[in-house]
Amino acid sequence: MRTLTIFKAVTKNWLRSRSGLFFSIMFPVLLLLLFGAVFSGGGTATYSLFVQNLDIDTSSGKPTNMSAVFIDALNSTKTFNIRNVPVDVNATSYAREILGPLGGNVRILTIPQGFQKDLLDGTIKVRVGITYNTTLTMYYIYEPYMNETQKMTVQQGLAQMATYNATIPEGGTSLTLILDSSDQSSGIVKSIVVSVANAFNYELVGAKNVINFSEEQPSTARQFRYIDFFLPGVIAAFIMTNGIIGVTTNTTEFKRRGITKRLSITPLNKVEWILGNVLSQTLLNLMLTAVIVVVGWLVFGVQAIPDAVSTVIIFLGSVMFSGIGMMLSGLVKDVEAASAIGNAIAFPMMFLSGTYWPVESMPTYIQSIAKVLPLTYFSDGLRYAMIYKYSEGIVTNTIIISALAVAFIIIGALVTRWKEK
Amino acid sequence: MTETVVEVRSLVKEYGTLRAVDDVSFDVNEGEVFAFLGPNGAGKTTTVEILECIRPLTSGSARAFGFEVTKNEDVREIKKRIGVLPQEFSALDKLSVKENIDLIGGMYEKKIDTMEVIKLLDLQDKTNERFENLSGGLKQRVGVAAALVNDPKLVFLDEPTTGLDPKARREVWSVIENLKKLGKTVFLTTHYMEEAQVLADRIAVINKGKIAVIGSPNELISQYGGRKVLVIRKGGGKLAETVQSMYGSTLLNHGGDVIVKVDDVKEMWKIMSTLTEMKLEKEIEIQTPTIEDVFLKVVGGRITEEGELK
Repeated sequence: MRTLTIFKAVTKNWLRSRSGLFFSIMFPVLLLLLFGAVFSGGGTATYSLFVQNLDIDTSSGKPTNMSAVFIDALNSTKTFNIRNVPVDVNATSYAREILGPLGGNVRILTIPQGFQKDLLDGTIKVRVGITYNTTLTMYYIYEPYMNETQKMTVQQGLAQMATYNATIPEGGTSLTLILDSSDQSSGIVKSIVVSVANAFNYELVGAKNVINFSEEQPSTARQFRYIDFFLPGVIAAFIMTNGIIGVTTNTTEFKRRGITKRLSITPLNKVEWILGNVLSQTLLNLMLTAVIVVVGWLVFGVQAIPDAVSTVIIFLGSVMFSGIGMMLSGLVKDVEAASAIGNAIAFPMMFLSGTYWPVESMPTYIQSIAKVLPLTYFSDGLRYAMIYKYSEGIVTNTIIISALAVAFIIIGALVTRWKEK
Repeated sequence: MTETVVEVRSLVKEYGTLRAVDDVSFDVNEGEVFAFLGPNGAGKTTTVEILECIRPLTSGSARAFGFEVTKNEDVREIKKRIGVLPQEFSALDKLSVKENIDLIGGMYEKKIDTMEVIKLLDLQDKTNERFENLSGGLKQRVGVAAALVNDPKLVFLDEPTTGLDPKARREVWSVIENLKKLGKTVFLTTHYMEEAQVLADRIAVINKGKIAVIGSPNELISQYGGRKVLVIRKGGGKLAETVQSMYGSTLLNHGGDVIVKVDDVKEMWKIMSTLTEMKLEKEIEIQTPTIEDVFLKVVGGRITEEGELK
């Protein structure tokens, strides 16, 4: 009963606080809109690329066919915003001038003079080489079954091919890609240009793909997009920050202002106080989840809507992080320390728990750290429940979250001082 | 027969090497306003918080309603029976006056109607006002209302008027006087001399953790306050000499006022008769000793507005 009274009072107090409302609900929603816009796939990312084509046909004064086709191939990837650099200028200076005083990433691809000729020479040389090697291999296989005349004919043919190949220039050409080392997209730009060049190579020599790929989604009831995979992470992360930063600072503020002390003089005990606060934060987190899901659905059309199982996990996760918040507020003395310690714990956890990007993409030692972070189990459990419907993962993570929730509330009760010193 | 509500014997509270409460013994009787008067750091709040069961004692004993503050099962009984206005009372800012009192009331199995308490403290106009919008005096009244919501027999008021302007202070005094009329036992801590003198039935002067003197204001004043003073405004040097020769203990201040220390009313009348005979029509002021004089005498200093000992 006393827990319920605390729950009602703390919740009312919070709901009437504009700053509390902003940081607990509106701020996460704004971040969802921001991240959602970035990751929802509403438009394909394009990278600016300056291309200086030095391979000009002297008779027509226009780019050679091959160089033009190569640029078309780059354009067909729809990932580049290609800007042509005149032949007679310094490409880097030109690019900097075009980018203007606000700057931007300088990415320049230079197609050298003689690109077409070198490419054709190289292609013929490669093709003759392949024919030679194939014929030689066949010769070794069928030699025992051939008569001397046949052998002689083939050997003469091979000798003529070798002689002809030796007369063809070495060929091959080198594209120059200038990329700024501080450009975070340089790796992506480079790999796309290399892929296009490789595809060009294979096409020229008439090679066909032997290994092909087909891409499929995991077996789920619906087809999800990246934003759907992102949503459980956002919910988990903000429930975590609300618990670790919000609860810690709020309850420390209650302590600083003597509100906790006033209540401790009444028959209220500290477990009732902790549970009242935890339940209040849990309700707020369920509200936060509802708002995030509705905004996600309205703005981005997300399909990952929490079901009953997900709601249970959200409830348990909220209890767990609010429990951590109550534990921390029991340990710190002032609001400044509460805020500092809350931030120091919440932010690394947010980025190390696979909330926004996979844990597998991080170094091994960070993966080891991620395994001991409560948010890892919460976001994994929530993602399994909302996206993958992976029962074993749901059960395992739910058990871990429940155990941690109970543990943190018990520790919180132990470290919360209900008496002065 | 008056019942003893609070019984403290040889109470000691130490923080490391600091003895905040040093062998303190006193009783508080049912229905009285008992004041702990002393400067900041004297041990007032520490003693009160021990009695409120939120601070452990080092040695000695403290009982309220016969229950020991150190026994868990007794603590529950004490908490049911006491109401507290802590020092620098605060409540949830975004809740209304009624909601904040309801919050405290919700902690008790037995409580009185919140509106009744609001009426008692004359807070009807502010019932739905948020706590954050109230003045300092009104906030203290909410604190007192919250302290009364469980209909306590004993009310602790820890520095209830500190930081309030004179008008708000008088309002709180009026509330305390009403509590006495309601038959509540009030344990008041203060560093304001006048407050203790006006409100308290008995005062314990406490300094450096020790009770210096204890008694009713009149007892303390008569015992430690010194003599009454008769001030003859603009009496001048000649009059001062005359009074000095007749009664002794006469001073002349820079303003020309003649100041005479007298032992009793009889002596005072004699001086006034002399003035009448001399046909001197001077303004006369009678200054009686106050608790401040008592404090000065027993502690050897005065307390500033901020509560510091000077």
